[in-house]
Amino acid sequence: MPSSPLDRTAPAVTGIGIATGFGYGKDCFVEGLFGGRNLFAPLLRSGRQPAPGEKRFIGIEVPEPPEVLTRRIARTAGLSARVSVAVVADAWAEAGLDEVDPTRIGLVLGGSNLQSRELMLAQKDAETRGRIVSPHMGYAFFDTDIAGLCAERFGIRGRTLSIGGASASGAAAVIQAAELVASGHVDACIAVGALQDLSAFEFEALSLMGALSPGDRCRPFDRAHDGFMFGESAAALVIRRGDAVLPGDAYGCLTGWSHISDGRRGPEPSLEGELRAIQSALQAAGLQPGEIDYINAHGTGTPLGDDTEAAACCAAGLTHAPVNATKSIIGHGLASAGAVEVAAALLQMRVGRLHPTHGLENPIDAGLRWVQRDPLDATVRNALSLSFGFGGVNTAIVLSAPETA
Amino acid sequence: MEPDTVFATLLAQIRDVVPELGAHAFARSDSMADLGVNSIERSEVLLLTLDALGLKVSPIAFHGARNIGELSDLIHAKLAA
Repeated sequence: MPSSPLDRTAPAVTGIGIATGFGYGKDCFVEGLFGGRNLFAPLLRSGRQPAPGEKRFIGIEVPEPPEVLTRRIARTAGLSARVSVAVVADAWAEAGLDEVDPTRIGLVLGGSNLQSRELMLAQKDAETRGRIVSPHMGYAFFDTDIAGLCAERFGIRGRTLSIGGASASGAAAVIQAAELVASGHVDACIAVGALQDLSAFEFEALSLMGALSPGDRCRPFDRAHDGFMFGESAAALVIRRGDAVLPGDAYGCLTGWSHISDGRRGPEPSLEGELRAIQSALQAAGLQPGEIDYINAHGTGTPLGDDTEAAACCAAGLTHAPVNATKSIIGHGLASAGAVEVAAALLQMRVGRLHPTHGLENPIDAGLRWVQRDPLDATVRNALSLSFGFGGVNTAIVLSAPETA
Repeated sequence: MEPDTVFATLLAQIRDVVPELGAHAFARSDSMADLGVNSIERSEVLLLTLDALGLKVSPIAFHGARNIGELSDLIHAKLAA
C-alpha cells in the first residue's frame, strides 16, 4: 500500500539514468528541457522508411548509446536493450547499488513489443537470405530478455520482470517497483521505461487510426493539436525504502500512486478512469488537491486525449497547479514515457523550475494553469505525474520532495 | 573452392561472433566450445559461414565435427557435392 506523506518508509528515488534526443544523462536532459531547441526531424533509422511516395515520419531519435556492454554481447542486443543498459548503468552508479546485496535488488522493465523495428528488419533479412542467421533471435525477441541482459550486466539476483501498459508502461514499472520495495520483496528496485523501437508498420497503423500527428510539431493542449509525435527515450529509476536513504540522497519520494483500468480495450480515453486514478493517488498520499504544486501531464497532443486529461484535472480540483507536457519537447516515447516523465518531474523539483510546453500558444482550456512558452520558477513539494495507455490503463503517481515525505 | 578458403571463411565468422578471439592464432584442432564459444554462438558461426558461402543446407548436416578443422572439411565436402 502507498505510504502517507509523513511515512519515512515511502519509496524514494535515489538514482536516475535517462536517454532522450538530447543525449544521455540528466545534465543534457535538464538543459534540453529549458533550452528551447526543437528536435523533431524526419526519422532516419532503417526500418522506418514510409511507403514509396509517402513523406518520412517525423519524430526524434536518440544518439548511439555509450558502450556499457562488451562487443560480444552488444552485437546480440538490439537498440532498446543497449539503451536500457546504458540508462541503468547511470542510475546504478548514482544510487551506489554495488553496496547492496544483489539478491535484494530487483528490476522491472516497462514496455512490451519493444523491438518491433529490429524484428521486422530480421524478418526481411531472413527472406533475403532464405533463412534466419541469428539464433539469438530465439530468446531476444522476448521483452524480458532486456531485463535479463541488465540482470547479467549488473549482477541483479532479486526479482526481474517486464510489464506492459502501452503508453503507461513506464509508469506501471515505477509503480510495480515501488510496490516491490514497499512490500519488502526487495530493498532496491530499478524501474526502467524502455525505448520503444517502432517500425514503419506501427507508424503507419498509428497514423491510420488518427493518433499520429500529420504535422512536424507536437502541440499538447493547444487548439491546433492534431496528434502525438514519436520520440525515442528511456529512463531508469532506482527506488529504495525511504528509511534506507540518507537525507539529500533522494530526488523525491513516491508517496501515492494508482494504476486502474477503464474496463475496456482500445485507444479511447476515459474521463471517469483518469479522474478516479488521480483521486485514488491523492488519497493514497494523504493529500488534498490543493497540496499538489505541479502536474506533469500525459499530454500527448491528441485532441481527445488532451481534452479528456484537462477535464479530469479540472474535475479533480487541480486548476491551481502549474501543468506542462514533457512530450512537447522530447516526443512520445510510448513504453518509456511514464518513467521518463517521473524523472522529468523529479529533476524539475530539484532545480525549482518547470519547463515550458512547446507549441502551447492557445490552450484548449483556460481553466488550467499552463506553463506555456516561458519556464516557471516553482517550489514543488508535491507533484503529480499522469500516464495513460491504450487498453484502458490509467496511472497517477504522487511525488513528494524528500523533506515533505 | 579451396579448403583453405572455407577454413578462412569459418574463422572470419568466429571472429565476428566472438570479437575477443580476434587475435587468437587458430589451429584446425581448435574446438569452439573449448575456446569459450557457447552453443548459440556456435550455431550462429555455422549459419553465417553457410550464408557467406551460399550453401543452402541444413546446419544439422554438420553435427559431429569435433573441431573447426573437421567442421571446415564437412562444409567443403558439401560445397563440392
